[in-house]
Amino acid sequence: MGIMDYFKPVDTWSPDKVRQFLNEESAQDYNLVDVRTPKEYEQGHLPGAQLIPVGELESRLKELDRTKPTITY
Amino acid sequence: MEGGIHAWNGLRAAGPPEAGMAYFEPAQKPEEMIALAWILEEGAFKFYREMGKRQKGPDEASLFRELSDDEEKHKISLFKIYQRRTGEDADPGFPRSLLSLESGTDYLEGGVVLNKALEWAQGQELKDILDFSVSLEVNAIDLYIKMERKVEGGEAKEVFQALSNQERNHLKRLTAALQKDW
Repeated sequence: MGIMDYFKPVDTWSPDKVRQFLNEESAQDYNLVDVRTPKEYEQGHLPGAQLIPVGELESRLKELDRTKPTITY
Repeated sequence: MEGGIHAWNGLRAAGPPEAGMAYFEPAQKPEEMIALAWILEEGAFKFYREMGKRQKGPDEASLFRELSDDEEKHKISLFKIYQRRTGEDADPGFPRSLLSLESGTDYLEGGVVLNKALEWAQGQELKDILDFSVSLEVNAIDLYIKMERKVEGGEAKEVFQALSNQERNHLKRLTAALQKDW
């Protein structure tokens, strides 16, 4: 990752936009990542979300397909 | 997502990251995931069938009967995909032999024992049973999306995608039923 990657713009979507996107797209076509703790994930998460706690994101980036859009919460 | 999970007012799945697999470890190989899905479909089938029998109103009974019929079809789809993947190596003890589960115990999503759920449902109103059914369906969608991502092979992916779409339809029917005056 280069220094400029830190400055790439990241869109913030509203929950309605996320809902519409998830309803329209196949699960194969996006990464949906829950970056909270395992305990929070267990208590409730968006259907199909993958758990990668924020502290592990850097080491587990390979698990995400960089050619697809990624939604995190 | 703006506002994070707290801003999400849609339905949520619950349970650990391995989609209930923690209760049935180790379900990691595709064949084991298919076996796990079959067992959960069997549990849902039996739960809805029993709820259909217990309802006095024809519309309520019909809703649960139709849901149980669909879950039965899902079991057939899963078994076919298992057979196609394993061919002559298909285990005659499918699905339980693949997961080392106790015989005679049926499970629902999240590792809930079917008999406990049936016992709980005895004293509940229809709304509570519908609520519980919604949670089963949300977790089923969650499970199938994860399986679709994990499993190799186009055909199996298509089956899991079709199953998650069908469970979405169940969810729509159940949430519509929740809003109805029975």
